[in-house]
Amino acid sequence: MSTIVTVGAPRGSISLRSIVGRIGFLPALLVALVVGMSAVDPQFYGLINILNILRNASLLAIVACGQALVIVAGGFDLSVGAVVALASVVTAKTMAATAAAFPGNTALIIASGVAAGLGSGLVVGLINGFCVAKLKVSGFVVTLGTMSATAGVGLMITSGIPVYGMPDVFVKGFGRAQLFGLPTAVYAALAVIAVMMFVQRRTLFGRYVYAIGGNVDAAVVSGVSIQRHIVGTYVISSVLAALTGILLTAQVGSGQASFGGDRMMLQSIAAAVIGGVSLRGGVGRVEIVAVSALFLTILGNALNLLHVDSRLQPVFLGIIMVAAVALDEFSRRSKARV
Amino acid sequence: MSDLELSMTSESTIPKKSFPTEWLWRAVLPIALIALLLGFAAVDRSVLSPGNLLNIAQQTSYLALFAMAQTVVILTRGFDLALGPAVSMVSVGTALAMAGATAAGHDPSTVLLAGLGAGFGLGIACGLFNGMVIALLGVNPFVATLGSYNVAIGVATTLSAGRPVQGVPELFSQLFYGGSIFGIPAAISITLVIGLVLHLMLGRTVFGRSLYIIGTNPRAAAVAGLPVKRILIATYVLCSTLAALGAIMMTARTGSGEPNLGGSLSLQAIAGAVVGGTSLAGGRGGVGTAVLGALFVTILSNGMNLTRIDGYIQMVVLGAIVIIGVLLDRLRLERRQ
Repeated sequence: MSTIVTVGAPRGSISLRSIVGRIGFLPALLVALVVGMSAVDPQFYGLINILNILRNASLLAIVACGQALVIVAGGFDLSVGAVVALASVVTAKTMAATAAAFPGNTALIIASGVAAGLGSGLVVGLINGFCVAKLKVSGFVVTLGTMSATAGVGLMITSGIPVYGMPDVFVKGFGRAQLFGLPTAVYAALAVIAVMMFVQRRTLFGRYVYAIGGNVDAAVVSGVSIQRHIVGTYVISSVLAALTGILLTAQVGSGQASFGGDRMMLQSIAAAVIGGVSLRGGVGRVEIVAVSALFLTILGNALNLLHVDSRLQPVFLGIIMVAAVALDEFSRRSKARV
Repeated sequence: MSDLELSMTSESTIPKKSFPTEWLWRAVLPIALIALLLGFAAVDRSVLSPGNLLNIAQQTSYLALFAMAQTVVILTRGFDLALGPAVSMVSVGTALAMAGATAAGHDPSTVLLAGLGAGFGLGIACGLFNGMVIALLGVNPFVATLGSYNVAIGVATTLSAGRPVQGVPELFSQLFYGGSIFGIPAAISITLVIGLVLHLMLGRTVFGRSLYIIGTNPRAAAVAGLPVKRILIATYVLCSTLAALGAIMMTARTGSGEPNLGGSLSLQAIAGAVVGGTSLAGGRGGVGTAVLGALFVTILSNGMNLTRIDGYIQMVVLGAIVIIGVLLDRLRLERRQ
């Protein structure tokens, strides 16, 4: 399958079609959406709304980048939403506990909370990776299982009640702070995207992930250690989801087991898929996935501003997602025919 | 490439003379079921009381129906993530149609017909959408049904304005929940009948057999001249129709149309099918695996409820069970080779 794609792109002839094929129709859709909304509703390009969009898009983009990496390797991560929730409550609980033990030692409190949050993500990622790579259970089933288990642990720790008691510096000085007019989450997302772009293009790990997703057998024959790299993709995905959970916690000011959830998980997959990541594996770039996360966030925001009933909004999301993938499939087929 | 490889491995896995071990592997789940029941009974006697056993059977009949629906599409290497939201949508649609028909002053049988028509109509529409997007547009089943998942949630909550729909007539509840055939409660007898019909359909009809061929090797199915696209569409319609029937039965139980009825049913149904031994790689499974899996999941949660295990811990246990179930299935497959 993947051979068709690489052979199909004709070299030299830079037609409109090949440009569209290379960049995709996503940026065009994004520009159309922004221009259209700006014309309809001036509130759309108000500073508050733009900051709101950027903050939400950043959180989604971080999760979607990890999800994209897993899908490129030929897997799935259904547990990301639950990891966001778990990391949130673990971070908040740890900070509250450390604050009780060492009052006033803000640096230690924050460091331990963040470390515990990321650590919880690391553990879930390792379990996912171990079950998929070593026990060879399908990624869908494994992450379906860990999704349920992780959500259960998050609720168990908190009994479903929000956790408070984090230092002010963490919430006001980090989560809700702005640097050069932009929320901190935006910088975190940009850093993640930059690192992931580098990983995908320039590191052996990134190239091997493409190789594994494109053709496992060929990767095995070429001497790639499949297991280690698959574990790596699940760990990165979970740790990035945990990072989002921590950012969300800092922004809201409490740890909540209701963060993330199914909605975040489905949106991250939607962002990856609309961003051109093939569910067959081997194809996909994080920067386009990030643009796609921005697109999805703006779309939701636009529907809100246009006063589309919030209950009806999922209908649009669903149809756009299917249409995007159908278009992608269609262009692949027409390429294959050439 | 991988298609060919998969088909070869599953061809060679047809058991020939591995009589004792094969039977042992098959008996793992039933033995686990009985052990589970006895284990819970040791903690709390009431687990094995006739009342609770009937309760388990009744609860299983709903999940079994959904697991069967899910199994049908999983056989063809598909998925139906939209099953849960479709259940919500059908529940709301059925209740609304019946409430409307009652308000318009129609007689009870017309009201019933209106409700069933609306319910099955919505279910079939959902199945047609899934099937056509997957078969004709070539969209991955995961994405296609994730799309209709969102659409069905939107429709269900919009139609109901997010609130339960009242006005379900007594006759409807009586027929699909309260009543009984030969002393067997309605839900159980309906599931038994449907299970039997589906079992015969999967085993004895061209349509049923072709699902296994498509799941085992789609390319071979196409080369053999099977109308793969039409069969796939029919499969998703069958799946959604079964889900619609389950939704109607659950609506009769609650006595109102619930926009959140489906909740986590999609994943529960997949878990039920998979724990029972339905292979996500396609071509393996049936009514038996769906019922066994549903029974297992139901007994597990029933027992944990009765022995007062924290609901949050139950989620952890269920997650672990799903993974272990699939792991055991994979080990079984390897043993056969």
